Amino acid sequence: MSLSQETLLSLYETMVKIRTFEERVAEIYYEGKTPVFDIAAGPVPGEMHLYSGQEAVAAGVCAHLRPDDPVTSTHRPHGHLIAKGVDLKAMMAEIFGKDTGLCHGKGGHMHLFDPTLHFGCGGIVGGGIPHAVGAALAIKKRGEDRVAVSFFGDGAANIGAFHESLNLAAVWKLPVVFVVEDNLYAISVPKSASTAVRSNAERGAAYDMPAVQVDGQDVLAVYEAAKEAIERARKGGGPSLIEAVCYRFRGHFEGDPELYLPKGIKEQWKQRDPITILGNQLKAQGWFSDEQAQAIQDKMTALVAEAEAFARQSPYPAPEDALKHVFVNV
Amino acid sequence: MTPSVGIIANPASGKDIRRLVAHGSVFDNKEKVNIIRRVLRALDAFGIPHVLAMPDVFGLVLRALEDAQVNLNVDFVDISLTNTGEDSTQAARRMVENGVSCIVTIGGDGTNRVVAKASRDVPLVPISTGTNNVFPSMVEGTLAGLAAAAVALDVNQVRERAVHRARKLVIAREGKPIDLALVDVVVYDERFVASRAIWDVEKMRTLVLVAPHVGTIGASAIAAYLPEMLTAQGHGAWLDLGPDGRRVLVPVGPGLIAPVSIRSLRWLEVGEGGRVLGAPCVLALDGERENPVYPGQDVIIYLSEEGPYVVDIQNAVRTAIEAGFFVI
Repeated sequence: MSLSQETLLSLYETMVKIRTFEERVAEIYYEGKTPVFDIAAGPVPGEMHLYSGQEAVAAGVCAHLRPDDPVTSTHRPHGHLIAKGVDLKAMMAEIFGKDTGLCHGKGGHMHLFDPTLHFGCGGIVGGGIPHAVGAALAIKKRGEDRVAVSFFGDGAANIGAFHESLNLAAVWKLPVVFVVEDNLYAISVPKSASTAVRSNAERGAAYDMPAVQVDGQDVLAVYEAAKEAIERARKGGGPSLIEAVCYRFRGHFEGDPELYLPKGIKEQWKQRDPITILGNQLKAQGWFSDEQAQAIQDKMTALVAEAEAFARQSPYPAPEDALKHVFVNV
Repeated sequence: MTPSVGIIANPASGKDIRRLVAHGSVFDNKEKVNIIRRVLRALDAFGIPHVLAMPDVFGLVLRALEDAQVNLNVDFVDISLTNTGEDSTQAARRMVENGVSCIVTIGGDGTNRVVAKASRDVPLVPISTGTNNVFPSMVEGTLAGLAAAAVALDVNQVRERAVHRARKLVIAREGKPIDLALVDVVVYDERFVASRAIWDVEKMRTLVLVAPHVGTIGASAIAAYLPEMLTAQGHGAWLDLGPDGRRVLVPVGPGLIAPVSIRSLRWLEVGEGGRVLGAPCVLALDGERENPVYPGQDVIIYLSEEGPYVVDIQNAVRTAIEAGFFVI
């Protein structure tokens, strides 16, 4: 498998789409919330956790997934869902709490579900990991070649459910890939203060599965490792773990003063912008020009603007529909 | 000058994609901490007062010091960590500047390669914990510590008797040396560094070896298991790979035995080498993709005898035994 121009351009587009979406959502989020930060105010009430900086992980992994490969994600889900191919309009509408959103406006930014893409996420730390194992169990029982992927962070890797999930996935040899997005901080807790081992890749050995660590800012490194892990699972080779060391360019949540970060570290991290890294790799091969980069940026800016307009113009769910789509009707 | 020993332990070795595409050993950092602790205790027992260590984000040496119960002082070189191989090169540079007698390295071929960029005439005591461990030794940590102590104290002229200068391959671009390899260089049919490791023999175009020897695994194995290699010890080799050649079945990675077709083979003496053809491609140095080569670039690879100095651990210990170093 050669890393072709087509593949690289596709990865580039995905990362720019994510970055553009996240940076625009950040701007929208603060509407109405100033001068005093009122989390309930504005068109997007509630919390917001953005993925800027970590695009290479979502793009590099999801490039190998089919729409019917299940993915579970976290409180920071936009990158994964965009990389999986979601309709930006429906996602934006959900973030705005509108009836045209993925969950009819009742889930919001942290509870995005798209059954057509077999995607779910939630704010419970580590909550999605067992779900991915369950999906993988169903896949295996049905004899299908689908693969489940669970994205979670370095904090979630210390949750009991992580350990139970890896263990059972290994015992039953399930087609699931665990992707630890190690951005070095679980909210404000540095990994060195929370995790007994130095790398979560070392935990693979405890659960009898191969585990690798990759540079999460280099989409090609993520792409190669994910390809091997996902193909292995698809062929019945069982579970594996990928630890992608990456950087969160924005706060844990929007409004996070990040007092826990060492001075200057953000600037250091931003030197390793995954979009710039891939752009440079493309240019070095003669596969890319600044004009092309601008064209891609313009395309994504327009797509996000279209999604935003759709969301703003959409209606809220009616109050009498409050209990619709919340419970299964038996 | 008080004897001082350097320690460079690579926290990243043993965790790359070869755990997925081959059967690379899982070398967890706890084991590395154990090894470092054993080295420290051996150095301490023989009176080495000072160790200079590379800091790392995982705190391997710091953790080794917990429960080590040693009297020696450990200082850390003042470098800003990039969490890449550059840290090991910087650390080696500082250690050389600070006059260490030798540098104990804990890692694989890749670790030793980046240390060798700056080690100059300070000998290495290489303990293997990587994937392909052709350069360093599968040696127990305590023993390596003993050898390092003997070298630091220059017992029985051990620095002349048990230290040799290894050869290396130099990569030069437009006439300027840009990098080096201690074991081999593979011209790989890929354009990007990406996950660094190489594992697809179909993509290996050319193989240049420092000194193939019996028992290696990795790309070097492509030449090392040819019968003529037994009488060609001490030479480097340049092999062009491709279809319709002479076929071998060899261990190109841990647990990865693959057929490879060799179109041509020539021995290399010091100073000899060749030009890299087939750009765009990428050069894998000691098993890891490192330097992309673009069309139009003039890149050559040649064998040099100016590699790092290396302590022969068994010999160093034997030399010390001879002088009664262990009789107190």
